[in-house]
Amino acid sequence: MKELNVEALARVEGDGGITVTLDGKKVKSVTLDIHEGPRLIEQLVKGMTPADDLNVVPRICAICTLSHKYAAIRGLEKALGVTPPEKAQLMRELMMLGENIESNSLHTFLLALPDFLGYPSAIAMLNDYGDDVKRALRLKKFGNHVMAVSSGRIVHGENPIIGGFGKYPDKKSLEEIKLKAHELVPDAVRAVELFATIDYPTAPEADMVFMSVNALRKQYGFAGESILISNGKEANAEDYKKLTNERVVSHSFAKRSVYQDKPFTVGANARLVNMGKRLDGQAADLFKEHYSDRWLKNPLMNNLAQAIEMLWSLEHIPDMVDKVASLDNPPVEQPTRQTGSGTGAVEAPRGTLYHHYEVKDGLIEAADIITPTAQNLDDIERHMKLTAERMLADGKRDEEVRLGLEMVARAYDPCISCATHLVTLKRI
Amino acid sequence: VTRQSPKVGIYGFTGCAGDQLMILNCEDQLVDLFGATEIRSFLMAKSDNHEGELDVAFIEGSISTEEQLKRLKEIRERAKVVIAIGTCACHGGPQAMKLGEGGYEERYKKVYGNAKITVSKAFEAQPIDAFVKVDMYIPGCPIDKTEFLSAVSKLVAGRHPYLYKFPVCTECKWKENPCILYAGKFCAGPLTKAGCGAICPSHNLPCVGCWGPTDDLNVSSEYNLLKEKGYRPDEILRKIRKFGGANVAKLLKDIEAKEAKK
Repeated sequence: MKELNVEALARVEGDGGITVTLDGKKVKSVTLDIHEGPRLIEQLVKGMTPADDLNVVPRICAICTLSHKYAAIRGLEKALGVTPPEKAQLMRELMMLGENIESNSLHTFLLALPDFLGYPSAIAMLNDYGDDVKRALRLKKFGNHVMAVSSGRIVHGENPIIGGFGKYPDKKSLEEIKLKAHELVPDAVRAVELFATIDYPTAPEADMVFMSVNALRKQYGFAGESILISNGKEANAEDYKKLTNERVVSHSFAKRSVYQDKPFTVGANARLVNMGKRLDGQAADLFKEHYSDRWLKNPLMNNLAQAIEMLWSLEHIPDMVDKVASLDNPPVEQPTRQTGSGTGAVEAPRGTLYHHYEVKDGLIEAADIITPTAQNLDDIERHMKLTAERMLADGKRDEEVRLGLEMVARAYDPCISCATHLVTLKRI
Repeated sequence: VTRQSPKVGIYGFTGCAGDQLMILNCEDQLVDLFGATEIRSFLMAKSDNHEGELDVAFIEGSISTEEQLKRLKEIRERAKVVIAIGTCACHGGPQAMKLGEGGYEERYKKVYGNAKITVSKAFEAQPIDAFVKVDMYIPGCPIDKTEFLSAVSKLVAGRHPYLYKFPVCTECKWKENPCILYAGKFCAGPLTKAGCGAICPSHNLPCVGCWGPTDDLNVSSEYNLLKEKGYRPDEILRKIRKFGGANVAKLLKDIEAKEAKK
């Protein structure tokens, strides 16, 4: 039995690797190994107040910090009978736009692009693609800035709370965001053009099922009450357990998700497959231009999907800023009950994130958090196995196969800290 | 005179990767940072990593598996200077909040059930100085860009970085914020190390203690201030151990012992 390893998967968030086990010429298994240590966060927040829980759970992941904050707020507000003021709701949408721009620009340009252009890192691309690297840094910095203005700081801001915000930004900082967003649109358009010209390998292709949150008001967006499935079905977010079927696999510590016994995919590609028709502006035009049946089977298209989505987020910032600025600052809404339960579902940049809470007498009794990467793990491995089989059958060298597999894993933009907020996994 | 640029390694263990992300978040300085130092290893940012002798190793995250412990010791052996970055590396972080209280096995079992364990053995997360000598600490959850960059600039120039030795309250006063404690909210500012710029109190919110315990010399009087405000020692501990873990428990115990002597 031969093994082909990528011991330490670079340019992803967290500590992971890939193992391919070969039996002669046959690929026995391909696994995404996760070496990240366990944290047991869901157990640790038991007995905390909802406010204390909100300080801790975003620390599951630095890149999707605001998605965790928002999912937890949505779940806890349902549990405590809180209806957020309109301005708070809009501010939350604004912060999610910022996180989407930050995370998608980081992943597309700085983590994924070097694969396709043949460089070890974005920094190494500076001489040949200096403009694109600088473009990425400008977009990322702006996304971070929007997160800082809305949430209090770039990473792990505490400003969003149950019932509203600690403090609303002043009109001047909002106005600055608006101007900057207009200015950066050409950078985001260039990102779409760049990722549309990439010749994505066909090796990982296979039919896929996609899931994403049905965004509010039948618009494109990152939060809602129900889940869209690409087979045409829709389910209530409260039934998340039936959708994700998290299970412990006997040969590893990983909790995995399947829908109707099959792996599925969440992320920007899932959102665009399910809600692409709801896009507007230049993002809609470019989506129409570049969308094809390949999106339904090739996970590498997620790179292009993220670029298109980043443009949509950027184009929507001025409108969101205007709406936020037009409203007076409301007081923080207080809980109407101290016992209850609720599920918050949001779209983190890398896919659907669920936070479910049961609160009793003002303290957390149970918490259940299902992250996008945990949902994607089965599908990542399925597409990696296909890639390995096809590339080896084509007589590709081990080095080429390794890169092919890394491309697939990276395309999912995995957040390994997220996936292992409670599990550690290694397969042998 | 040209000074050889220092060989740097940036590593992450159990945590949220927020401190490594904050390094990548230095968008305006990133190119210079990669120019002024020779970044030999930074797995989150690049594929061409070389593990050899280092002048400085920046280490994020707590240690929670045998495998991580082995790697940590190996990094220590080849690094002249080890700098713990972020609250997890410095104090263990949220995953170490119950360190020293027991119950880990039970919590672990609740997550994994009876699944058979064939991986590197996991244990309750601990800060890196529980296992190796740490030369410098840059706390924060995540670290502050300015604090990190000023530390790097000093190191590149061959100087020792300066880090704040006072609590968040001092920074809060600089900002002329009204005191959150006086407004009747439980603020961890008095016992928390400065460096964030008192962000939460500046948003009318109590400090959550994410920089970990302060090493201010007047820490006893700051602790007493919280007690005067009516908060019990167990409440204070529960509030700020979310980030300070066992180090906060130890700090509070030391203060209580000192007070008892008086």
